[in-house]
Formats: sequence, structure tokens, C-alpha cells
Amino acid sequence: MAEPVIRVVDLWKDYADDLTNAPALRGSSLEIDVGEIIALYGKSGSGKSTLFNLIAGLDHPTKGCIEVEGQDLELLGERGRTNLRRFRLGFVFQFFNLLPTLTAFENVFLSLELVARPDTEMASSALREVGLAGKEHRYPNELSGGEQQRVAIARAIVKRPSIILADEPTGNLDTATGNQILDLLTRRCRESRTTLIMATHAPLTCHYADRVLKMVDGVVVEETPGEAVVR
Amino acid sequence: MKIVTKSFLRYLPRRLSLSLLQLMGVACGVAAVVGMTMSAITALASFSKAVGFLSGKATHSVQRPAGPMEEKALADLARDPSVEHFSPVIDRRLRLSNGDLVRFLGIDPFLDRAIRPEIADAELKRDTGNPEGALSFLLGDDAVLVDRELAQQLKLSSGAILQTTRGSLRVVGTFANPSGDPLVLMDIANAQRLFALQGFVDRADLILTDELGFRTRWENGFLIQSGRQRSIIFSAMLGAFRLNLEALSLLALFVGVFLIYNTAMFAVVNRRRDSGVLRSLGARRHEIIVAFLTEILILGFIGGALGGVIGYCLTRFLTALIGTSITDLYFFLRPEPSAWSSWILFAGIGLGCGASMLGGALPLWEIVRTDPVKALSGRVADRQSGRNAHRTSLAGLLILAISVILLTLPHTHIYVGFAGVFSFLIGASFLTGTVLVAVHPGLKWLLGRMGRLPGKVAAGNIRQNLGRTAVAVAAFMVALSMSVGLGAMIGSFRQSLVWWMGSQLQGELYIGKIGEADVPETFYEEVKRMPGLGGADPYRKVQVLYRGLPVYVASVDASVVQRFTHFGWLKGGNENWEPVKRGGVVISESFARRFKVKSGDTVVLGGAHGPAELKVGGIFYDYTTEHGLLMMDRSTFLRVFGDHTINSLAAFIDPDNPRRQELIQEIKRRAEARGLPMQTQSQLRASILKVFDNTFAVTRSMRALAIVVAFFGIAGALLTLFMERRRDFGIYRSLGFSTGQIATMTLLEGLGMGVVSYLLSIGVGTILAILLINVINLRSFNWTIFFYFDLGPYVWTAITALVASLGAAAYPIWKVCRTYPQMQIREE
Repeated sequence: MAEPVIRVVDLWKDYADDLTNAPALRGSSLEIDVGEIIALYGKSGSGKSTLFNLIAGLDHPTKGCIEVEGQDLELLGERGRTNLRRFRLGFVFQFFNLLPTLTAFENVFLSLELVARPDTEMASSALREVGLAGKEHRYPNELSGGEQQRVAIARAIVKRPSIILADEPTGNLDTATGNQILDLLTRRCRESRTTLIMATHAPLTCHYADRVLKMVDGVVVEETPGEAVVR
Repeated sequence: MKIVTKSFLRYLPRRLSLSLLQLMGVACGVAAVVGMTMSAITALASFSKAVGFLSGKATHSVQRPAGPMEEKALADLARDPSVEHFSPVIDRRLRLSNGDLVRFLGIDPFLDRAIRPEIADAELKRDTGNPEGALSFLLGDDAVLVDRELAQQLKLSSGAILQTTRGSLRVVGTFANPSGDPLVLMDIANAQRLFALQGFVDRADLILTDELGFRTRWENGFLIQSGRQRSIIFSAMLGAFRLNLEALSLLALFVGVFLIYNTAMFAVVNRRRDSGVLRSLGARRHEIIVAFLTEILILGFIGGALGGVIGYCLTRFLTALIGTSITDLYFFLRPEPSAWSSWILFAGIGLGCGASMLGGALPLWEIVRTDPVKALSGRVADRQSGRNAHRTSLAGLLILAISVILLTLPHTHIYVGFAGVFSFLIGASFLTGTVLVAVHPGLKWLLGRMGRLPGKVAAGNIRQNLGRTAVAVAAFMVALSMSVGLGAMIGSFRQSLVWWMGSQLQGELYIGKIGEADVPETFYEEVKRMPGLGGADPYRKVQVLYRGLPVYVASVDASVVQRFTHFGWLKGGNENWEPVKRGGVVISESFARRFKVKSGDTVVLGGAHGPAELKVGGIFYDYTTEHGLLMMDRSTFLRVFGDHTINSLAAFIDPDNPRRQELIQEIKRRAEARGLPMQTQSQLRASILKVFDNTFAVTRSMRALAIVVAFFGIAGALLTLFMERRRDFGIYRSLGFSTGQIATMTLLEGLGMGVVSYLLSIGVGTILAILLINVINLRSFNWTIFFYFDLGPYVWTAITALVASLGAAAYPIWKVCRTYPQMQIREE
């Protein structure tokens, strides 16, 4: 049996400066295989974003272990974790988080530059793939929400990462645009066998997932096929 | 260029107005330092150039320790085996009829040829273009040569008449003078007549072959100085003055660095989210550091270059001011502003980049340690701003403790004192965050009363955005404290000077003018004999060396001074004149502190007949020279120095003398008959105060510049707050806030920051004034200034704070009025 691309074991996260609230994560564990499309489903405050930040190596767990592609994140060190984000992970955020001072093309090209493959054709091609041909030189504030999220997807996929973390990718979009975005994102991931993990509180998103991990109060409580949640 | 860097740099044109404000802040800070430093350097370089040109090839000079030297000594010089060449000189100042002072040299063209060949030889023959020039220069009683630049300035050509306070002089030619010091030359015999110095010269310039041998023969009764020694002595005289100029410019740069810190902190706040995004995409810390550094260095580079140019323009104004002050206080100097050089630009750029690095260091650290998770979640840092403010205040208290240690260390160098003052300002500025938290309820009440709901929101905004507001308030507070502190110090100094004048300048009339018009001894005798006159004090002040350092010796009529004046004594009263009448001296506070001499000690001065021992009878307050003043009776002075010169004569009349007016008129008539300048007591006091005010003109200009720099800081803070709160404005709009209310809110934010800055500056500025008086002035000038409370600086600073904070809000308000009506609630 193949090794899981992500393994999380008994993960706890307690914010030191937040003494009034319970821990954000309380012993979560999960395993995700290569090429799987996962929906991390839960209400706001259930710990989805915290888990994302920990998997991306942006934050440190209070307790527990995270392995990405067989490597323990804590043992990787800061430089190793940065390299992991740079080469192996792609990010899609709810509020797009495009750099406002860069054009659509430059936002995508940035990802390539960071992995030392500054290929302009690849950046243009990624934008074409997400349906933004002709809008390369527009700044984020000149694009609609859906278009901005498409740029974010192009930025994530252009460097061909092994994992894409999408935090509420449709949370700021209308239903029709949301569906288009999810369709685009999951299709691209299936084609390239990229593992996709989507944090969401919208049942519709789960429809696109192979597996749904439900989170409640910082713990993964149940695991169901994607279709089941929609029903 | 890397895209990461590009993403940061694009903010500069995108937020052009903010970038321009930042740029102007850097430029003004740099301009202050470049302007002040260059002016001081130019003035000193001009002085060195003038000394170099006037000294020519002379290796040494010989003169009496005080006063002119007898002409008969020249014969001995001519016979001395160590003297290769010598040239007697009359070196004086001449006031032209337009009021300008110029240097006047009386020389022997033949003897001077070996010392100053450019003047004596070449110019006489060639430059006059008149073959009879040399002859007319020698033979004409009133013939002078005028330097070419001065001639052009006064539109004088050969044959023209130069009007001076000593009569009309005939210009027989011009000469090139590279020193920039306006110069008039005359044959020495004619010069002696013009200055009534027959039989005397001021000094002889020498080319020596054997210094040691010469000194052995001439040391007794003469002062022998090498060119280097003279330069060192002149530089030493300007030491404290120069140091204070440098400190002033550093204060302006200090405010400038604060502003850069301020603006860099704004940049950090703006870039925090971007840096979080970049980190999540895999950008390394150093890539973000490079991007941020590039941004602040570009601002430093352009701002520094602009500051260099503005500083150069400022130099043209400040050099003249500094030259006037040096002439009034130390020695004659007419510096010419230096020519433009690309080095000024490089210096400005270096300063701008250096200051940017310094000001950007903490913000850079802030951005480096920013948690990407928190950065991605938006303005999290502000939730902790209260805690950060308290942490910063603790650091501030620590710095204040260090400043107390530095300021109370006994007998340390003045630089330690300056470090203490700067630490005090830094420490105090670190407390602003906590102060803003503490005064929030009061500010809310005040702004609420002024602007109702928008006022309360404005107070909340100031409290909530401490990351921006505390730094802006700190920068403004430092600038206002400088205004209060320097204003209060200058005011106290002025009052101390007024008190000093009241104690010493009690004469009815003062005849003669130091350095310009001496009083003939015969006139003194004539006035002294006038029936009914209370007394006449023949005042002579001359520079001598004590322990190798320049000090001043003054001679007075001790009996007259004892009877008519009320000197401010450190100990005792006018009985201190008794030992002076018996051949002792009284010394100024600056002399006592500088040389650690006490009452009852003996000082040894080199006199015309060798070393003279003089007992100190008392110590008096004095503000005429920071180098030290010894005052002795005229009889002692004549015995020690043999110098009969009288610089000015003070006439005293008993207040109840019925013939008072008649006597005054009679003295005036007699002085007028001899062409002697006169001043009444009030005129003399006014002229001293004018010199004082001129001296502090530079300080005032620096105060103004610091305010301008801080103004850009407040404007930048308001603009940043406006830009950051666009989303909030959308919410206000949806709640029904009108454009007017939002404009009022912005205005009151500016006013609120101005009010807090001003209130802080009252305390900090007053302490700064006390430190300047009791530490800096005492250590640099060795004199005590008495603290006088004057409301003036506080009122002026309040008006400045009000105008600056309201003015700083003008542009953000304009932006509000333009953009608020279109604002929506949106995330991106």
C-alpha cells in the first residue's frame, strides 16, 4: 500500500495568547493519499483553518505530529518548511490574497519565480487554462471576485505542486461562480493527480470531494464519501 | 527585478501622496544636517583659507602678549640670525560707510614681498594695470588696494573713493584674493596714521630658520606663534560653538529618523498581509527583507538626494548667519557659501539611506518576525497594540534611567551630556503609546464635546491604531519639545543676559567700539578730568594665552567699577574689587570652571616683561566669552602688558547729579569732535541683545525645520489611517455618516494627536530646557544660565502644534471629501 501524502497524528493547538477559548485543535488525526480530493467540512471556528496552517507549516502544533510526503514538519526546520510551501504546496484562499500591486500575470509568475522556473509562457498558459486569456495585465482590483479566484488557482497550479490547500475557496463567491471555480480546481487536480484539500462550511463543496472529513470543535469526528454530505 | 520586490515597490506610485510625504520628511531631515554641517564647514574652511592666504609663506608671527608691538622691535628682528624674512603688519577691521566690515591690512610692500608675494609684488605691478600704481600706493596718504570681488561688489575702479568710518580712501587698484575674505590693503606707514598707531605695529610675520633659537631670544615679553598654533587656537575658540551647531543639526536628523521610523512602520502595516501571502507561497524571510529594504532605501536615496539639494540651498542662507555670529562673538569672518559639488548629493544620499536604515531597522525586525498566520488574518497586531505600548514604555523607562545616569556622571565629556539628552528624548518618546492609552478617556470626552459622535470615533481611532498614532505623536512631541525646550532655554539665557547687563553696564555713555574704533588715551584723560563726572572707566579687552589656551584679559578702573556697578558674584559682593585695586584680578565663572581656579588662587600670565603672578580676588557671572575672562585694574594691566590701548570708555554720572544732562551733552560733543562712535547705555544693551538674537537665529531656523519634519509625520499618519480604514469608511457610510462627519473625524484625529503631542511636549520640553541649561550650556560654555519661566515658548508652540496638526489633516480631509461618497463595504 502507498504511503499517505499527508499524515496527521493526535494534533493539538492551543493559542497561548487566547486564554479564554478552548484549544483550536483537540487531538485531530487523519491520513490523505496521493491524488485524493478531500473536503474538510465544519462550521466556522471548528479548527479547519488552524489545521490548514499547521499542514502548510505556517504554524506550530502544541502537540502531535504532521508528516507531508513522509517528512515530519517539525524536523524540517524553518527553511525546510519554506521549501515545502515553495515547491510542494499550493494555496487558494477565501479572500484570494492576490498581491494588489501585481497584475494577474505577475501574481502567477511570482510562483514560478519562487521555484526558480521563471517561464513566462507557463504563467500565460496557466491563466489561459483558468479562462483568463486577455486579462493578464489587469490588476486584482480590475477583476471580479470569480476572476480573482481563478488567478489564485492559476497561481497555485502553475508550479505543479503535489498538494493544494484551498481554504473556503468559494466562501466569497456567488453559487454559480463557486461551482465554476470548484469544477475548475478539482478537474485540474484530478488531471494532474494533485492532492486537493478544501476547507469549507458549504455542503456544496463536498459534492466535488472524494472524501469528506467533518470537523467539530477541533476534532475530525467523521469521515464520509462526498456524495453523502450533499444528500 | 524580482517580483517579490516589485510587489513592494509598486506601492510607491500607487500611494503617491503618502510616498511624497515620506520623501519630504526624509528630505527635510537630511537638508537640516547637510545645511548646518556644510555651513559650519564652509565657515571654518573659509577661515582657514583666509588665514592661509593672509599668512602667505610666514612660518611664525611675533607680537606682544596684548596690544600693539613697538616698531623699534623691528630693528632687532632684522638683526636676528634666525629670521630669514620678516614683515610688519597692521591687521584691523574697517567699517565701510554702507555698514559692512572688511579686513584691513597695512603692509610694507617691499618687506612683504617674501611673505605674501601675490599681494605685495605681482598685484602691485600687474593687476593695477597702472605702471604708476606701486608708486601711488606708497606715496598717497589715502591710497588703498581693494580686492577684486569687493571692488566689483561696490562698483569701485581705480581712482574711485572708498567711504569708510575712518574717512575717504582712494582706490589705486585691485588685486585677486582667493580667500573670499573682503580685504583692503594700505601701505603700513599710512595705515599707522589712519589708526593712530604711529610707532607701533600689530605683529610681524616671520620666516624663521631656527625656531628654537628665536624663541630663546624672544620668549620674554613676546608671543611667538607658528601658523599651525594660530590655526589650532582659532579652531579651539570655535569648538563649543561648532559643537552646538552640530548638536542642533543632529536634533533635526533625530526628528528625521523618527519620521522615517514612522513611515517605515506604516509601510510594515501596509505590507503585513502581503508578507503573509508571500510567506505562505514559500517566499523566504530574506526575500521579504530585501523587498522592504529596497523600498525604504529608494525613499532614502531620493529623499536624501533632494535633501542634499535643499540643504545646499539652506547653506547659502545659514553660512551668512553663522559668519555673522562668529564675527560678533569670536573673530572677523565673512564666509562665502561653498560652490555646488556632486559630493553634496552623495552626502545627502548617504545620510538619507543611513537614516532610512536606522529608522527602518525596528520596522524591519517587526516584519521579519511577523507571524504569517496572523498577518494573513489582517490587522491582528493592533489587538495587541496596548500590550506592545506598555512593553515599549518599559523600554522607554529603561532608556530614561540610562539618560539620568549619563546626565549625572560628574566631569564627563560634553558628548556624554548630548548622549544623555538624546536618550532622554528617545526614552520620553517611547512612553507615548501608554500615554495615549491613559489619556484616551479624556481625549474621548474632549473630542466628543468638539465633534460629537465623529469626535468620539476619532478618539477611539487614535487609541485603536497605536501602531501608527503613537509613533506619529512621538515624532511630533519630540519636535514640539525641541521648540519648547530651545525656546525656554533661549528665553532664560536672554533674561540672564538682561540681568547681567543690568549688573555690569551702568555707564551713561559708552565711547569707542571694540575692534573698530579705539579711544585715544588723551581723550580718556580729558574726560576723567571733567568736573562733576562720577567716573570714567577705560575698558580694554584683549586675547592672551593661559596654559596655552586662548582667554581674554580686560582692564578697567577698579575703583570706578566698584562704585558704579553691581557685578553678579558667585560669592561675596563688590568688596571683591579690593584685591583688584591692589594688583590682583577677578575672574569670570567660565574661566574658573574651565581652568578649575578658585578665589584666592594665583594665575600666571605671560606679560610684556615676562610671567606675571596675579591673585584671584573673586569670581563673577559673565556671558561675554566662554573661554574665560580675567579682569584687572588698568594700572596692573599697564604694568603687566604695557598696552595703552583703550577699546571703549564708559562715563558714569551720579544719578542725583543736577548737571547730569549737561555732562552727557558735553561728553557727546567732545567725542563727536574726535569722530568717536558713541552709544548710550540703552543703545549698548540693545546692540548686545541684537548680537544675541542673531546668534540664535540658526537655532530658531532648526526649530522651524524640526516642526516641518514632524508636520510631514502627522500628515503621513493621518493619510495612512485614512487609507487603511477604507473598509471602515464603507461601514460608516452604510450607517449614514455624512462626508462632513467623516471629514470632522479626520480633522479631530489630527487635532487629538496634536493636543496629546503638545501636552507631552510641555513636560518634556521644560525638562529639555533645564537639561540644556544645567548640563549642555554649563559643560560647553562653562556659564550658569538662570531658568526664567516665560509663557512665550509654550504659547508659540501651542499655536504651532494647532496649525501643524490642522494643516496636516488638510490633505487627508480633501481625500475624504473626494472619495468617501463612492465608498462601498467590500473586503478587497
